[in-house]
Amino acid sequence: MGLFKRKHLLLGLSVMPLVITGALAAEEKAKTIAELAARYDSTSCKECHPEIHAQWEKSIHARSIFGDAQVGRTAATIKTTIENGLKEWPYSGVKTPGDVGVKQLMMCTKCHLPQLQDAEDSVAKEIVKNVYAFADGDEKAGQTLQTLNIGCTICHGTNAIVHKWTDGYPQKDTVYGSKDGVHEDPSHPVMKQSKIMKESILCGQCHGLGPNFEHDNPTQCATLYGTHLYAYIPEGGQEKCQECHMHKSKLGHNIQSYRSAEMAKMALDVNVEAQAFQWRDVTTTTPAANVVVAITNKAGHAIPDG
Amino acid sequence: MTAKTLDGNVFYKNEKIFMPVPQQFGRGDKMGRGPYEKSGLLRDTSLPPHKTVKEQFSIPVYKETTVDGKLVRTIIANDFTVDVEIWYLPYGKKEDPGNAQKWFAVSKKMSIEKGGK
Repeated sequence: MGLFKRKHLLLGLSVMPLVITGALAAEEKAKTIAELAARYDSTSCKECHPEIHAQWEKSIHARSIFGDAQVGRTAATIKTTIENGLKEWPYSGVKTPGDVGVKQLMMCTKCHLPQLQDAEDSVAKEIVKNVYAFADGDEKAGQTLQTLNIGCTICHGTNAIVHKWTDGYPQKDTVYGSKDGVHEDPSHPVMKQSKIMKESILCGQCHGLGPNFEHDNPTQCATLYGTHLYAYIPEGGQEKCQECHMHKSKLGHNIQSYRSAEMAKMALDVNVEAQAFQWRDVTTTTPAANVVVAITNKAGHAIPDG
Repeated sequence: MTAKTLDGNVFYKNEKIFMPVPQQFGRGDKMGRGPYEKSGLLRDTSLPPHKTVKEQFSIPVYKETTVDGKLVRTIIANDFTVDVEIWYLPYGKKEDPGNAQKWFAVSKKMSIEKGGK
């Protein structure tokens, strides 16, 4: 009986990791950028969802570690993070850019490239090498960085489930959307409803609450979801991120923010009142003007965030 | 916000910055710059959701001199223009390529009466 119990326990221990992580644990980690990009490639989605794919291609999500196509600001900030941060901090383990591994880069890629957790340090090093090459004017390096992105399988896969003990762990063969069913894609044959696909929490995972305390050295890119929760909701706001950034803007999966004229127009109401007058004090006349600018923030969060 | 004469001479310039001021490493009084050193806020002047923020600008339309020990204010122009612009500036300078985004602009023609006492 005692032996049986022990065996049962051992069986439980050996099976549990596979059950919890599903197909994620079975796959070997990517060794190159090309390999990682191929695993998370959204091209196969294009065949059945050409309009959505075309919208997404215009978004910053489609170049998430490079940044805006014109300037590559995100790549530049990754370099600054290494030069002014990691290299200067005594306990980061980084003396030169070549020392940067997945652990260090995750301070940026938690959001800018969450799939990096499925890669070996060699991929982090290749990213860093390309970031520095791009900063030195190498356009090809910039193009390489743009092969990595927040593609379909991040929001509709990895990040589609937040409460994993409640809703289960995201499965590699499954695409998460608005309904259950069969999905006509050999690599993602299963379609399941994500309970948060239309909720702000989906976006809040990255457009976040402030310091990311799970890191050894917390970073703070976004405070957007924080102001949504603690400032917008208390004012009676009820709209979800997707309602403005995807539907009302008519931008769909070309999810935009401050660079978009549509979003800027939706964000603020501005009223300017101006009056010129002459102030008189005994013999001195003072010509002056008074201008009152009233700005109303109509967005579901503070502007700007950070 | 600028005020300029009809021939383009700017005689008033002012700006207000709306933004959260991040705290460096969540300690002390220094602002954190990049995401890698930001943790917390020192102050926050960002535009809060569902609220109206009013900014008032008082523009002197005169030059001040002293003549025979007496203060004299001479009008700069009876007709002038006030330009109000709102820019989204994510980092660096407004002039950096691909950086700042102009969200709003309006020009108001202003006039101060001539003559009288």
